[in-house]
Amino acid sequence: MTTTIPTTADAVPVGPGLSMFDPIFIGIDEFGQPVYLDVIYRNLLTAGEPGGGKSGLINNICGHAALCDNTRLVLFDAKLVELGPWRDLADAFIGPDIDQGIDVLRRLLVVATNRYAWLLANRRRKLADGDGMSVIVTIIDELAMFSTVLGTKQQQEEFSTLLRGLVSLGRACGMPVVAATQRPSWDIIPASLRDLFGYRAAFRCTSLNSSNIILGQGWAEQGYTASDISPTNQGAAYLLAEGGVPRRIKAAYLTDTDIYNIADYAAWTRRPTSSTGTPAVNPTEWEMAA
Amino acid sequence: MSKSSPRRFAGRSTGTVTVIEAKVHRSSARNAKMAFILTAVIVGLLSAVVAASYWHPIVSLVVGALIGVPTGAAVWLLVRVWPVIRLLWWWSLETTLAVLLLTAWVQLANHTPTLVTLLVVALVVGVPAAIRPVRRQVKAWTWCLIVRHRLRVCFAQFIIANQSGSLPLILWAKPTPVGERVWVYLRPGLSAKDLEGRLDKIAVTCHASTVLIERASENNAAYLRFDIKRREVLTAHVGSPLVDVIDPSAPVSASPLTVPTALDLPDVDAPTIRIPAQGKPATKQPAASTANGSKPAASSASPEADDVSDWI
Repeated sequence: MTTTIPTTADAVPVGPGLSMFDPIFIGIDEFGQPVYLDVIYRNLLTAGEPGGGKSGLINNICGHAALCDNTRLVLFDAKLVELGPWRDLADAFIGPDIDQGIDVLRRLLVVATNRYAWLLANRRRKLADGDGMSVIVTIIDELAMFSTVLGTKQQQEEFSTLLRGLVSLGRACGMPVVAATQRPSWDIIPASLRDLFGYRAAFRCTSLNSSNIILGQGWAEQGYTASDISPTNQGAAYLLAEGGVPRRIKAAYLTDTDIYNIADYAAWTRRPTSSTGTPAVNPTEWEMAA
Repeated sequence: MSKSSPRRFAGRSTGTVTVIEAKVHRSSARNAKMAFILTAVIVGLLSAVVAASYWHPIVSLVVGALIGVPTGAAVWLLVRVWPVIRLLWWWSLETTLAVLLLTAWVQLANHTPTLVTLLVVALVVGVPAAIRPVRRQVKAWTWCLIVRHRLRVCFAQFIIANQSGSLPLILWAKPTPVGERVWVYLRPGLSAKDLEGRLDKIAVTCHASTVLIERASENNAAYLRFDIKRREVLTAHVGSPLVDVIDPSAPVSASPLTVPTALDLPDVDAPTIRIPAQGKPATKQPAASTANGSKPAASSASPEADDVSDWI
């Protein structure tokens, strides 16, 4: 694909031709086989102790999405640095500002509702690859910041409620949600929200209980517990996805340089987003917050 | 014909090597007898019926007996030596390899001068030993041969399936980056659940780190896949293929950022701290502030965001 973004280089950038409907490479399993994830029709919740490698996995998905054709990114990162490299590519980048987050979630819900009306009008139940509709990937790092720390209690509850709506509605209309948090217990995320995430990735935890909270009740008793992951082995996780049984995986690691290189390349090759009302990024707003 | 004692292999630690176990031997003798009688009667009767359309019934009965008894004897012999045939089959690949190797060596030694013989041997052994990928492949496939025997030992020694002592069919094996993968077809009396409780013992027997069992077929519970792990790959560094599809010389495109200057605690004045107002502030932990000094507590602080001094 050619681009209309003016470039200073004398080469014509060619997009890698990825699509969000392609399986996303996220790492290898314990037999050394590559692991792919279909995020498009599933929501993914990754959790685990700090430094376990959650952000590595999220950045893999984000990198893939950034290089995809016809894909929009909505990024929530109260920590700014994890998803910050992709801020120029994102249709919305929300820093530690829950008001902005709630606004964006509301907009996403309206889009989701409209898309379902469109699907109904077209006698369909699910968005497919050939529809030409953009995929809107919502990625949230440190979900707990928005659901327990920032804003007032009412705002936090509203955020959780709106997110629950997006997670339950987004699946079939091409609006998947990927969220990361440290411990998704009921005091951080309502259980009703947690249980909507179909795919789970449990990075290292300190206890069987924490692992059970992430993967679901009963897995630790069957021997699938993220507490047996070595603390030095960052990026190792249990992934509960296709197959129905947690698999041990090692998430692919992107260095900071890799991430910025991919972000630069993606910005170079991306088609200009036809976002009249939605600026590709609103730097001033979150810079002010910073 | 005792078929009671279920612990058929218990207490066999004498130095003698018995090719066929006593119990198997006994049941084999009984099976052979039954096979002889059944085959002789059925084949004899069928032959007699066919022969009756050509000859007198009494003659055809004699003909039937003449055909039935030798066929029964052949089947008796087959059943009688079946344990030996099975043993030969288990070791057939190794035997074939050994025969081939010895034949090659003898032919080589007979037809070439000593120096050439040694040179050829040095090349055949040395080159795979020196080239790492080849050496690794040879080692991996050798482990595949070994592990099939070790699994059979598991089934024979401590996973007793049924009274007749029939072992699961151990199908092919292939190397994986972490060890081997073996496909097994279970016989009646065993299930994947029975095996899951004994994975640690199987791992010990296979000289492996861990063993995992998965169903190899959605439709057939008897068809299993054993994953034998000897090496850990999850500690490896995994790169992303995204790095390969991009051009690292892409122009840098980053929107300019305003970097805050208040990067240390004394730089941030106390009244500028923006506290996230909680529903019940008194019971909550006030740790979460996005304090970095550049945003005055104005719009986003909620009305009940009270007296800052409460928090400090």
